[in-house]
Amino acid sequence: MGFMQKIAARSPWLYRINAGSCNGCDVELATTACIPRYDVERLGCQYCGSPRHADIVLITGPLTARVKDKVLRLYEEIPDPKVTVAVGICPISGGVFRESYAVCGPIDKYIPVDVNVPGCPPRPQAILEGIAQAIEIWKTRL
Amino acid sequence: MLEDLALPLAVLLFPGGLFALAFGLVLKGADRRVAARLQRRVGPPLLQPFFDLVKLAAKRTMVPDIAFRPVFLAAPIIGTVAMMLAAALVPIAGVYTPDPRLGDMLVLLYLLAVPAVAMMVAGSASGSPFGAIGFSREMVLMLAYEGPLLLVVGAVAVKTGSFSLTGIVAYQQAHGANLLDPVLWPALVAFMAFFPANLGVAPFDIPEAETEVLEGPLLEYSGPALGLFKMMSAVKAVVVVGLGIALFLPTGPEGALGLMVHAAKMLVLVLAGMTLLRTSVGRMRIDQAFAFFLKWPLALAAASFAVALAFA
Amino acid sequence: MNFLGILMRNLAQGPSTEAFPFGEATTPKGLRGRVHFDAAACMGCRLCEQVCAPGAIRFEKKKEGLGFLLWHNSCCFCGLCQHYCPVDAITLSEDWHLAHPESEKFAMVEEGLLPNVACAGCGKETLSIGVNVATLAFQPTAEEMAQLHALCPACRRKAAAAMQAARKDAGTGGQP
Repeated sequence: MGFMQKIAARSPWLYRINAGSCNGCDVELATTACIPRYDVERLGCQYCGSPRHADIVLITGPLTARVKDKVLRLYEEIPDPKVTVAVGICPISGGVFRESYAVCGPIDKYIPVDVNVPGCPPRPQAILEGIAQAIEIWKTRL
Repeated sequence: MLEDLALPLAVLLFPGGLFALAFGLVLKGADRRVAARLQRRVGPPLLQPFFDLVKLAAKRTMVPDIAFRPVFLAAPIIGTVAMMLAAALVPIAGVYTPDPRLGDMLVLLYLLAVPAVAMMVAGSASGSPFGAIGFSREMVLMLAYEGPLLLVVGAVAVKTGSFSLTGIVAYQQAHGANLLDPVLWPALVAFMAFFPANLGVAPFDIPEAETEVLEGPLLEYSGPALGLFKMMSAVKAVVVVGLGIALFLPTGPEGALGLMVHAAKMLVLVLAGMTLLRTSVGRMRIDQAFAFFLKWPLALAAASFAVALAFA
Repeated sequence: MNFLGILMRNLAQGPSTEAFPFGEATTPKGLRGRVHFDAAACMGCRLCEQVCAPGAIRFEKKKEGLGFLLWHNSCCFCGLCQHYCPVDAITLSEDWHLAHPESEKFAMVEEGLLPNVACAGCGKETLSIGVNVATLAFQPTAEEMAQLHALCPACRRKAAAAMQAARKDAGTGGQP
């Protein structure tokens, strides 16, 4: 991997998508960003406000029917190369809402997921671990 | 031959161009690190803004279908070039005197307005409604802070008897820094209020508010175009801080030591005026910011101007 | 001006950031993490399957015996299975290092098997009694445990009655 890619890999920007989540995992994601205890800026990450600036996409929620089209459209807006992390068990398998009529199933039916972080919600440290694994994958795609 | 090269070198290498860019990014890195430490966090490495720029260069710029493509792509370029030119216009006492062919105070004030206009135009050219909101807020904010800036510059010019930056610096080298002059203290306060507004730092980071308008004008930018905007913002920091130092505290040793002292002054000004402020306050609303600028900074700068005029 | 004092105090106190992922992370005692299934202790009552909130636990009657399967990507770590298991066969450890790449998605399972044994009394295929429930019910010695282990429920009833009678005769009171 070239020198430039090594440098570029030290600045992965995070973007959160809430695909119908109960907000529990989103609270944990906010915790990893804002609480001094779990500073995610050490890894060079920062939460960006625009999908166009994103490198690592954090998806929570079991892709409810209501929000499905919007999430898929939003996902297309994020430029490559990107890495997708499914945070919480809802995007991985549907979680506790699995057999609901309003849930469009695991997210990897529609979106290529790279890293899964199970938990309901996962610990901030577990999310950090997932983000670290995602950064390793992102380095190979730069 | 060397004299012919001096001007382009000043714009492209030192103190404009590469030097201003590198130093601006270091200032931003220091600001982020110290802000983290003030919040009891570890913070990113000092060179993080450099890594951000390299990463942005590696991605691709997506242009939305509804955007006006020529302006969308030209806005960041114009902003960055204007700032690099402006950086070559700011004198560093004992180290660098700008070439009079480049222009002087008026050109500098005009060039300082260009990045804000570039941001506004970018917001409107991107075609998104958030960009339009960012455009209108940037315009209102600019209207608010340009007034106090002009009055501060006017007050210093009247006090020092010269409207050229080199003249202002020369006067202070002869009569002592303006920082020690009580007549200009209100102007100094007004400048410290203008400084975070121009650089888009809390409490005045309204046009680029992340959570409110999804980064406003920058929403649709990605890749190298966004990198250019980040470069523009870094060089603008160097220019504005350099202007502040030239107006109020340019005195210092000559040569290489003078350059280091100048850099230290810039770092102190950024940390005290920007970092400390942005970690302790939240964001103002646009109407609050507009009203604020039309009250205190304007009044203080006008007071300084009037007193300086009276005692001229 | 109070906030200036707070900021200066923050600078003096230094960062309060946890070292993870560049160092160890603190794990509180009793954290509900990866699930462990002890097949020897399980008695096959399937209470955990009943109370599992997202339905992550499946029991399956296979040729070799009763299979237990828990998928961690469906488990919400509520701990109801641990709470309701009468014999502590299913427990949640403190291991929270569960992040994995997509390729390992279906490997995040905890499996177990309660093997079929041939009954020592009548030769029928049966599940052996769980160790914990046997201990709870009979408090057997080692030889008694070896006897009760490979018996179907009918033969086990007969053997347990014989065991109780033998204990009464030996003077240990009969009642376990």
